[in-house]
Formats: sequence, structure tokens, C-alpha cells
Amino acid sequence: MTRYALTRLALLLVGLVVASVLIFFTLRVLPGDVAQLIAGTQGSPEQVAAIRERLGLDRPLWQQYFDWIGGVLRGDLGTSLLNGRSVGAELAQKAQVTVPLGLMSLLIALVFAVPLGVLSAVRRRRGAGTAMSVGAQTLAAVPVVWAGMMLVIVFAVWLGWLPAQGFPRTGWSTPVLAIRSLLLPAITIGIVEGAMLLRFVRSATMQAIGQDYVRTAAAKGLTKNQALLRHGLPNVGLSIITVLGLQVAGIIVGAVVIEQLFTLPGIGRMLVADVGSRDLVKVQGELLVLTGFVLIIGFLVDLVHRVLDPRQREAA
Amino acid sequence: MLRRTALLAAAGLAAAALALSACTASPTPDSTGGEPDPDASLTVGLVLEPDNLDIRRTSGAALEQALIDNVYEGLVTRAPDDGNAVEPKLASDWEVSDDGLTYTFTIEEGVTFHNGEPLTVDDVVTSLTEVKDDESLQGHGDLAGVASITAPDASTVQIVLTEPNIDFLFSLTGRAGLVFKAGDTTDMNSAENGTGPFTIADWTEGDSITLARFDEYWGEPAGVAEVVLQYIPDFTAGVNAALDGSVDVLTAVDATLAPQLDGTGFTLTTGTSTDKGTLAFNNTRAPLDDPRVREALRLAIDHDALIEAQGAAETLFGPIPPLDPGYEDLSDVAPYDPERARELLADAGQENLSLTLTIPSFYGTTVPTYLVSAFDDVGVELTVNSVEFPTWLQDVYTNKDYDLSFVLHVEARDFGNFANPDYYFNYDNPEVQDLYARALATTDEDESADLLRQAARIVSEEHAADWLYLGNTITAVGEGVNGFPVNSINVRLSLADVTVSRG
Repeated sequence: MTRYALTRLALLLVGLVVASVLIFFTLRVLPGDVAQLIAGTQGSPEQVAAIRERLGLDRPLWQQYFDWIGGVLRGDLGTSLLNGRSVGAELAQKAQVTVPLGLMSLLIALVFAVPLGVLSAVRRRRGAGTAMSVGAQTLAAVPVVWAGMMLVIVFAVWLGWLPAQGFPRTGWSTPVLAIRSLLLPAITIGIVEGAMLLRFVRSATMQAIGQDYVRTAAAKGLTKNQALLRHGLPNVGLSIITVLGLQVAGIIVGAVVIEQLFTLPGIGRMLVADVGSRDLVKVQGELLVLTGFVLIIGFLVDLVHRVLDPRQREAA
Repeated sequence: MLRRTALLAAAGLAAAALALSACTASPTPDSTGGEPDPDASLTVGLVLEPDNLDIRRTSGAALEQALIDNVYEGLVTRAPDDGNAVEPKLASDWEVSDDGLTYTFTIEEGVTFHNGEPLTVDDVVTSLTEVKDDESLQGHGDLAGVASITAPDASTVQIVLTEPNIDFLFSLTGRAGLVFKAGDTTDMNSAENGTGPFTIADWTEGDSITLARFDEYWGEPAGVAEVVLQYIPDFTAGVNAALDGSVDVLTAVDATLAPQLDGTGFTLTTGTSTDKGTLAFNNTRAPLDDPRVREALRLAIDHDALIEAQGAAETLFGPIPPLDPGYEDLSDVAPYDPERARELLADAGQENLSLTLTIPSFYGTTVPTYLVSAFDDVGVELTVNSVEFPTWLQDVYTNKDYDLSFVLHVEARDFGNFANPDYYFNYDNPEVQDLYARALATTDEDESADLLRQAARIVSEEHAADWLYLGNTITAVGEGVNGFPVNSINVRLSLADVTVSRG
């Protein structure tokens, strides 16, 4: 187990290094220049050159890369090219919106996807099961933006129950306001991600129903549902953990879109703005943290899987 | 002289038809009763946020909109709601010598910076001298013709020019004329030390800037205790914010979305601006170096139809808008005439012409879609290349690598772009340059306006560009809000006179 964990950890670190190189150099392919943007359309070429020098953008790329990665290793993600603020501090601040948003989305997805998924598998030959399956298929195909707009129209504009956009300036010191402002965005992501999860739970459950051990259990006197509940679902649970790991990436992408739509000052919105203004030091810091987050989740999922699934342990 | 904010604000104009009286500025709504509440907090929804707060070093209309007159003040300012007239600010009075070379300003007394230090003439001299000497400071170009800046006594500042410049005073209403504390060490990226009626109480990047009334302000104190500038880049989200009551005022309302605000307690005002929706031609690139081709492209455009599709705009057929000196109605120069356009293209031997339009992506699709079909009608195939703004800056503005381009040039009095052969239009006409130089050099305003008028006519008659429209700004003002500015608010948003009465 330890050996497995160490191997996996090494892989994680290699992944991060590769990601940092990819992020850094692919961003440099983008046309346009933050110095030009700072100078504006009144700026002379000399002025742009002077700004580039001040920001250190005139140095060789490899040198800029090693400066950056050296800072990252010391725990310093650098400072914004545009306003000199610390990227790490800025990320930590925006995370106060994005992380709760992600967790709420995940929770909402789980709460409706798991029971409904199991139910629609158990009742797959009845109308309700089919309806749920078709419904999930449809929901999963819905673009997040569209779902968000519909929810805003109904719950914010028509009914006036929840705010249509924004996050309270008072932040989490007014938790009720903060949660209220995250509710619609979280439901939006939760529904779309949950619909995908539902389809997965359904197919995993159906597979479990057909397994020999469930049939054996049923043969020993349990009802079919009892057999599924006691012997089938624990296995379904294992594969759900794996899928959830994958869905974290989906939720991050969803957050980028949803934060625009709901004007939430989170990491996703910051990322889009920073790409638009070519504040590349910030963008690469943000992307590295997000990539690292997804990789670490994957790592943890693998470990948990290993611990929970006896078959994998034996195979090692 | 285009600015990024306004470029974005233009996207708000780009939209489908709307029966809005787009041509006149409607007055700010009258009070709905109730005394103004001096403790009120006003939330204003805006589209584009500044990238930082350093108004001395960073371009962008968003910065000027938020900070000039609110946080920072110059010697003089302009009044968009009064035809962009130059008005006193930190200079209570000024005199211009007969030869137009010497400007003598009397500085207001009792002005204090936000850190409590008094304003001195030395601060004025230092601020302006820094801009004049340091080319990395915004506004540097405006002070290029300054010979000296001195303070003869403790209340007077004198600026001497090397040659007369009739636009000089107006240029001091911009960044060049802003006054900062000499030797100040405030980190202007994230903090400020101005003399304006508001201080910056908070800036949450990607969200809002909060302005708080400065109680020791030297002039009339601001009408509200606090203004929250809430940045909402998405137009739909902006309207939703107005509908759910999270903003008291929404600026840059998208014309197509405006009807949603009808009957909701918001009053819509439509303001004029100097936002020129400019279809730039690369004047030196074949076949656009042939005036017949440029004329044909202009004749192919039905400007009224385009404006109807847009929602909020007026026609403009030349480089000078009505708010600037030298305006003249030039609609006779390029009337809609697709038949004649086809003839001109045939004359020029360009019957199978393919051109590319490079346009910053935030303008949306109305303008490019219209142009594709209008040009197709006269046999010109138009490819639309929608790019991010930094890409536009690099390819079009800096490298001049384009056929046609569209941007909204928002700056007031920017005719000089057509008298500058190095500007990205690549338009080089010595006669225009001469007329412009003479228009600046004269001290007679009427003569100056007349020279500009002549120059503008030549530019339009040579089809150096096309002016698709003159932008209007639609603002939704909530109940009880009074004195909210109407015109040109994407470049100036003076909030000191706004009041809120509830109840």
C-alpha cells in the first residue's frame, strides 16, 4: 500500500511539472501583450518597450519560467502584471466564492442523482424509471448557461426569491446572504452535473443487479432489492467515488461559465478576465492551482479506492 | 484614442431593433418626492472594470469613468451634460494670453488631499511636470507642446506653450491635468490620495469599487454617503440585477434588453456621446488604396437600417461628432446607393473582391452580420475575423495588418487621428494635416472650428473611413435617484451631485 501510494505521489508530481511547463509555454502563444494594453492606444512603441522591461517581459522565456517555478516552490505564485497584487492572496480571496460554490454543486448533484439513479435502475422496466432516464439524458445535454438563465428568470426575476447575480460585499460575515447568492448558481451546476451522475449511477446499479453475487444473495432468501442494497450498492458506491473525482473537473469548468453569468467574484471569473487582459503571471498561477487541485483529487480517489476495494489490494 | 471600456460599452449598443427615441437626451427624472438622504448608499451597475487603480500609468476609459472628478481632480474639468464645456475645478479661474501661449491658473484655496495634506501650487507644478517629462505617464502627449510650468506665487500656476494650441485647455480636463500630492508614496495600484469628493473605501477585484464621501472635501460635499460601483460585464445579468433590486442605477443598458425595464420604476435616459463607431479602412493596402473601392463600400451601407438593427445610435458621416467643434452634417457624402457602389467597383476592376473585417469580439454580431450582407449585395465577400482585444491591439493597431476594422472611438476631440499618417488608418493627406495644425494654432474658436470642418469634409470625401454610427448611452435610473449624469458617461461619471431620496 505504501509503495503504491509513493508511486502514485511521484506520478502526481511529474504531472504537476508537466502541467506547469505546458501552461507556461502555451500561454505565450497567445497573441497580444499586457504592456500594449497598459500603454493603451496612445502608447508609443518606446513606451510599450519600457513597460515590458519594467515587468520583466523582455527576458528569455526559459528564464521567466524558472523564476516563476522557483517562486512557486517557495510558495509564491508571483504578482499580477497589471496591479501588483499577490496572485496567491487573490486566489485565496476568490476561493471563498468558488470552493463553497463547488461543494454546494457537488452536494446538490449527489443528493438528487444517487437515489434517483438507483431508483430508476431498480424500476427500469416501469414507466417512472424510463422517464427518469430520459429526463436525465435531457438534463445532461442542457448547456449550463441556458439552465442558469432559466433558473434566474423563474426564481430571481419572476418569483424574486433569490438574487439574480452578485455576491454580498460583506462576504461570509453575512452567511445567509452569501449562501442565498450561491444557491442558484450551485443548483445550475448541480443539476447538469447531477444528471450525468444519475445516468452513471443507473448503469452501475443495473450492472450490479446482474452480478452473480447479487443473484446468489437473492437465492439465499433476500428479496431482490435487499440483495441489491446490501451487496450491490457498496460496489456502486466505489465507482461513484471515481466518477465524482472526474466530475470535479466538470464542476470547475461549470464554475467558470456560471461565475460569468451570475457575476460572482470567484476564480472562474477572475481567470476569464485575466486571460482577456493578458495578465499571464496571474493566469498561469490560477491554472496551475486548478490543475493541481484536479490532479490531487484524482490521487486521493485512487488511494481511497485502493483502501476500500479488497480486490485491488490483493492484486497488488 | 479609443478606450477599452467604451469598446465594450459598444457591445451594449449592438443589438436588434428597438423603438427608442435615440436622438435626444432625455432629462434626468425629477424627484419622486422625499428629501434627499445624505446617508444614502447608491449602487451603480457598470460594464467594464478597471484593471488597477493607477490612473497615471494605465490606459482605459473604465479608470477615468470611475476616478476622474470623483477621486482625482484636475485643474479644469468638462461637463458632458453641458456640451463638454470646460469648467473650473482645482483652478477657480484662468486666463489665456492674447497670443494663446500663456495660461495663468488661479488655484482654489482650502483644498486638501485625502490624507489631510493641503494642496499647494507646488503639487500642481510637480504633477504636470512629471507628465510632461515622463513619457510612460498617461497624458504625456497632451503636454508635448509645453515650454514651462511655474508657480509665480502661492495661488497661481502658469503654463507657457511653445506654440498656440486651442485644444490645450480641453486636454487638461483629461489625465494630463490631474493633480497629485508631490512626493506622495501611495501605492497607486491599489490605493489613492486624491482631492475629490470621494475616497476609495474598498476595491474587490472582479466585483466592485466602493467610493465613500470625503467629509473634508473642499467643495460642496457629495450628495450620498457611499457609491458602490458594481461591475457586471454581462448585459443580461445587469438587467437582472436591476430587476431584483441589487442596483439603483444601471449604465450601458443593452438596447434590446431595455424594454424589460419598462414599468419597473426605472426611468431610461438616453445620452449623447462622442463614441464614433468607426469602420476603418487600411488606406494603403490594395485595393483599399483606391478611393473608388472605399467609396463603394460606404455607399453599400444603409446606415439607417444598421442603426435600426442596433437600437441606440444616431448616424454620423464624418470624423467629428456634434459634441466636438467642427461638426457638420456630411450625410450627402455617402448616401446609401448600392447601384452606384457596384459601378464604382466595376470601374476599379474589383468585381470579385474579398475582404476581411478584424473586430474585437466583445462587439457582438450585429455590426459584422449587417456588413457581411450589405457588402455581399454589391459583390464584396466579407470575412469576419473576431479577435480578443489584445490581439486587435497587436494586429490592427500596432502592426496595421488588416483590411477593415471596427472599433468604437470614444475619445472627445480626436480628429487628430486622421491628421496622423502613423495612426492605424494609414491615412496620409498633407492638406488635412495642414488644416488640423492651423485649427490648433489659431486662438479664435470660430476659425478653429471652421478649419476643422473643412478638414473633416475632406476626410469624409476621400472616404478615409466610414462612420457607422454615433453611440448613445442608455441608463436606467431607479426611483428616488436624482442628478445622475446623462451624456458620455462611459468616459466621465461625476457622482458628487447625485442624491437619493427614499420613501
